[in-house]
Amino acid sequence: MSRFFRQAGDSDSDSESSDDESMSSGAEDVPQRSQAPAKQATGSMSRFLKTAGSDSSDSDSDEDSDSDSDAPPTRRTGLPTVDDTDDEEESDDDAPGARIKSASERRLDEMKATGKVIENGLKINDWVAISNEFDKLARMVQRQHNVSEPVPPFYIQTLVSLEGSLNAAVIKEKEAKKKMNATNAKALTAVKQKVKKALKEYEAEVKRFQEDHEAFEREYNAIVAPESTPRQRPTAPNGEVSTADDFTTVGKGGKAMQFTSEGIFKNLQTVQEARGKKNTDRAEQIRILEKLLEVAATSYQRIRVLLALISSRFDYNSSVSSHMPIELWLHAQQEVDQLVSIIASDPNYSIQEITDDYDEMVERSPATEGGIVYIRGSIISFIDRLDDEFTRSLQNIDPHGTEYVDRLKDEKGLYRTICRAQAFYEATKQAEPLGRVIMRRLEHIYSKPNTVVAALEASVDASEIKPSMILSVQKTTTVLIHTLCVHLYQSGNSLLRTRAMLCHIYHHALRNDFYTARDMLLMSHLQESIHSADVGTQILYNRTVVQLGLCAFRSGLIKEAQATLQEIFTTQRVKELLAQGVHQQRFQALTPEQEKAEKQRQLPFHMHINTELLEAAFLVSSMLVEIPLLASIESEEIKRKTISKPFRRLLDFADRQVFTGPPESTRDHIMQASKALQDGEWEQCRDFIQSIKIWSLMPEAADVKEMLAKRIQEQGLRTYLFTYAPHYSTLSISLLSRTFSLPINTVTSIVSKMIWNEELSASLDQSGDVVVFHRIELSRTQQLAQTVAEKLAAMVDQSEKSLDAKMGGTSGWTDRADIKGDKRGEQAQERRGRGERTRGARGGARGGRSGRFSQGLGNQMPGQRSQVAV
Amino acid sequence: MTDYDLSKTIIPYLDRHLSFPLLAHLVEINLFPVKEVTAAQYELARGTNMFDYAVNLFEQLHPEEDIPAEFDEKRKNAVSTHERLQQEAQAVLDVIENPDVAQALRQDKNQNLQYLKDNYNLTLEQITALYNFGQFQYSYGNYSGAADYLYHFRVLSTDNDLNTSAHWGKLASDILTGRWDVALEELNTLRESIDSRSSTSALLSSASSAASASEPALVQLHSRTWLVHWSLFVYFNHPQGRTLLLETFLSPTYLNTIQTSCPWILRYLTTAAILSRKASALPASSSTPVSSRVRNAIREVVKVIQTEEYQYQDPVTAFLKELYVEFNFEAAQRELAIAEKVVADDFFLGEFRDEFLDNARYLISEAYCRIHQKIDIADLSKRLNLSHDEGEKWIVNLIRETRMGAEAKIDLEKNVIEINRPALPVYQTIIEKTRGLALRTQALGTAAGRSGQQNNGVSKSDSLSPTVAVK
Repeated sequence: MSRFFRQAGDSDSDSESSDDESMSSGAEDVPQRSQAPAKQATGSMSRFLKTAGSDSSDSDSDEDSDSDSDAPPTRRTGLPTVDDTDDEEESDDDAPGARIKSASERRLDEMKATGKVIENGLKINDWVAISNEFDKLARMVQRQHNVSEPVPPFYIQTLVSLEGSLNAAVIKEKEAKKKMNATNAKALTAVKQKVKKALKEYEAEVKRFQEDHEAFEREYNAIVAPESTPRQRPTAPNGEVSTADDFTTVGKGGKAMQFTSEGIFKNLQTVQEARGKKNTDRAEQIRILEKLLEVAATSYQRIRVLLALISSRFDYNSSVSSHMPIELWLHAQQEVDQLVSIIASDPNYSIQEITDDYDEMVERSPATEGGIVYIRGSIISFIDRLDDEFTRSLQNIDPHGTEYVDRLKDEKGLYRTICRAQAFYEATKQAEPLGRVIMRRLEHIYSKPNTVVAALEASVDASEIKPSMILSVQKTTTVLIHTLCVHLYQSGNSLLRTRAMLCHIYHHALRNDFYTARDMLLMSHLQESIHSADVGTQILYNRTVVQLGLCAFRSGLIKEAQATLQEIFTTQRVKELLAQGVHQQRFQALTPEQEKAEKQRQLPFHMHINTELLEAAFLVSSMLVEIPLLASIESEEIKRKTISKPFRRLLDFADRQVFTGPPESTRDHIMQASKALQDGEWEQCRDFIQSIKIWSLMPEAADVKEMLAKRIQEQGLRTYLFTYAPHYSTLSISLLSRTFSLPINTVTSIVSKMIWNEELSASLDQSGDVVVFHRIELSRTQQLAQTVAEKLAAMVDQSEKSLDAKMGGTSGWTDRADIKGDKRGEQAQERRGRGERTRGARGGARGGRSGRFSQGLGNQMPGQRSQVAV
Repeated sequence: MTDYDLSKTIIPYLDRHLSFPLLAHLVEINLFPVKEVTAAQYELARGTNMFDYAVNLFEQLHPEEDIPAEFDEKRKNAVSTHERLQQEAQAVLDVIENPDVAQALRQDKNQNLQYLKDNYNLTLEQITALYNFGQFQYSYGNYSGAADYLYHFRVLSTDNDLNTSAHWGKLASDILTGRWDVALEELNTLRESIDSRSSTSALLSSASSAASASEPALVQLHSRTWLVHWSLFVYFNHPQGRTLLLETFLSPTYLNTIQTSCPWILRYLTTAAILSRKASALPASSSTPVSSRVRNAIREVVKVIQTEEYQYQDPVTAFLKELYVEFNFEAAQRELAIAEKVVADDFFLGEFRDEFLDNARYLISEAYCRIHQKIDIADLSKRLNLSHDEGEKWIVNLIRETRMGAEAKIDLEKNVIEINRPALPVYQTIIEKTRGLALRTQALGTAAGRSGQQNNGVSKSDSLSPTVAVK
């Protein structure tokens, strides 16, 4: 306060001295009203006022920045080289009261400086300068007026003196022979008008000042001194109201509190303005906000600071490719938690993305708002960002190091945060963000085994805010996922529905519930529309299909497994389609942007489906399907269609090799096993297959091996019959049963099946328990005729198909649907913010390919129900 | 046997009145305690207006207790309602039965309505009285009367919902009165109306969002499920029923319905497929042309059984599976023995037990003969659950009946059948293969020729499509 008084005293003495001057000037010229016509002045006047007004409305929220732009030179002199933010902090931390004083002081200083310039101008008769300075002065006064301080006497004094000298100048001008130059004259008239206007405005003050200027000044000081403090007062009671539970804090540091709570909004403002600017120190900003959070007293303040703090944490790392520092991430996660708990514990505050406009500088509370206080912000976007950053950090950390494992441990906390947010949205009944947050949650658990889900859920149990769906209520993971999915199915968002559906199917497949998963996939009709979905969803789709194939394999449904996995292996880009590795392109190099986008899509390592295991499953099931088929081909000319091209290719390659060493890789094992199977050596084949190490990654490895052994026996028998039938006329069933260690019943059943399906031209002789083969030797001509007939039939088939396609292709509907689909796909990509247009075309092509993948799959699935419920 | 009883699963899909015969059947076969079944019957009857029947059942259940007073009161109510509704309906009926009116009525319902309104002052509300009265009659068991009234109502009314309801009511009445021909007709029209709703809903789904279209699809699935259950009554009582059942149930839409919502219907599908074996075996001789669907019924059904195995399985389906998937004749034999009992106990299939057994045996022996070259007659008879002599007779009949005559010979000395099936000559197979090609090519040519005209048509439909979308 002492500084304040001293300053006031300063101004006192200052005004006295200028008073003297005015007195002297007053003695020279008779003070009189200017007679200049008022009419033509009004136009410029009003404009001036308008600009002044708008200016002041800006400045009224932030004086500092305004003064920055308005009067840089004076400021420089007034406050020697102090950084903006530093100044703020200082005033905040150690001298809470100083800020206010310096502001009014500065204003006065500025005014005086301006007054000086005007005086100088008067002396040299430079009216242009005077006009400018007067404008400035008027603006300053206007601003002062806006903060409801009375008009300083200094201004009135200047006004009066200016009027006097103005009149003198006008008179002089009239008498003078040598006129002023044009601009100067114009400025003189302008000043004259302005002064006249100002005089009118402050008529009362001027009158009082002229009567007794000393009394006027005293009056002014008396008003200013008490007024500067009450101006902040109202905030303090507000703070008390909202933090009524905490009397001590407010009481003890009552004064400090007042100023900090005032300062918080101003500081927030500056921080927010600096956000995104080029040379802003982000770390510094975070530090400021952290300090602000410490001093924030009311819930409202805390929410506001937290909102700003979290977003600035996310801002910290601007580059797209690298991830956010883990420490920052952890802080952000805690702060989101904090934010959610504040909001959840106090229903009077609500954070929404769209709110009515409110004054950011004013403290608000339920009392002032009359009910719920709405604050602009979005928790769901924080959650999204938090989750994305987590994924990104996992993408960037070496998955084989301990760091990765450590990082994975944070998932628990993240999962808890997500669940808390879910609980919050459930409580506030915001459907749209609730759907999104549930989707996030689902994506964390759908691909995990039960124990991991239980661990994640345990952390949710420990938290005080719980969503309605938790494991301890739902008992099993399947039920939990079911409830989560059902919620998403019922929400209107089709993207979420699709993703939830895929997650659900994936989960079923993971639990070896093949039929349910298959039926869900087929009934969802996803394979028809998936190629128009965004890349992320397509990846999820591919994962789901692959998992379904693995599930079929584990359940011993070899044919289904083969058919399901077929398509994705034919593309030879398994890793890319599953987002588990970047595809190396042979002919064209990826542009850096493409590569970056590709990298961003990659799944973190712990979510990978082991491609080697996948390949093993696919190749083994291909072997079991393909080898008997190969054996059934009688001659080179009657080539039947190949079922699995990738397998055929590998087999041909293996055949061409001159020397074969002991198998090393999984592929080698399977190739050698296939050869053994071709030769009817089923035991050798079984040993090869069972010695593949990768099976140990399957949860039920022993069962799978057993199942495979059985399948190998059966297929071995079939292969044997196909291969060696021409060399026998009869074959004893008991011999077959012994050779393949299968029960006689099974052998009979397999042989009967082959006979019934006309794969084998033979019949059973019951009395002798033998298979009798009927062999028809075809002559060369007959064989050729047969081939020609077959080829003809195939040709007609082809023509029919192509005609069908052509007729179907010309129909307007399908065309348009395709175009629409493409567009939607592109939009989705853009919306995802991946941000490069070049990606669009490639992504589209890719989508097309995996789309075909999906359709092919749908067609090959047994028991297809493409038209269920139609 | 109680494990395989389907009454419990089926009844929820039936009308209250349709369940009575099922329950009565359960009483007859003594599968469940009679008391429990009677209690169930009583519970059912209490909800209807058939008071005498309900009272009767009550007395059976509680011989020593008094009849609850509520029945008297209800009866009074019912009688008064009956009179009131009858009067209302009679007014309409008087007009309709007037020969002048009958002649003046045309196809167009709106026009008819206008005509009735102009000349006889008959409004839609009054016509609805027909529906109400029909429904009331149905509720107290006068099914033939109900059928009449509902028929008249349907001819006149334009209200879609009530019409559908009347449709169902009429079908139920016809089933309960046992007029199978009429019921079949009714069933077919009802089926058409349900299927035609699909076209409108399909239109909707293409025009509007998929979300709104999913609802009608669900409704349709439900009504199809109901129709499938109700139709069992008709199909297993009408002389042509089994083939028609195959025709209907094997059509893709109904097969999907069965697979998604009521896999237990597979039992009836399977049985029908087995029963209509003769129709499929002798396509040329039968008077009515049979579609390929029926001819290949068994193959189709086996496929469905395989895919649905995880959802539904009973001895009847297991029999086919063992026979045609596993080729395990012993297991098939075992399943057949159980299936026979299941079929005998089933309300719908009971009458067909012998026929079923006969056909099943035939299927076994056919498959057996195709696979084997030499068959021991004793062994085969054992597989067919027949004595040696009977078995021989059976086999001789079998050989005579089918075209195997030339190929199969019985060697009595060794007691074996020898089957000699010479392989098809190569030229024959080639002729078979190439037979259809010319025709198909021709068809291709005409289709290609037409495509030019179709292109015009397409462009027209193109310009029409926006209007469809607007609707």
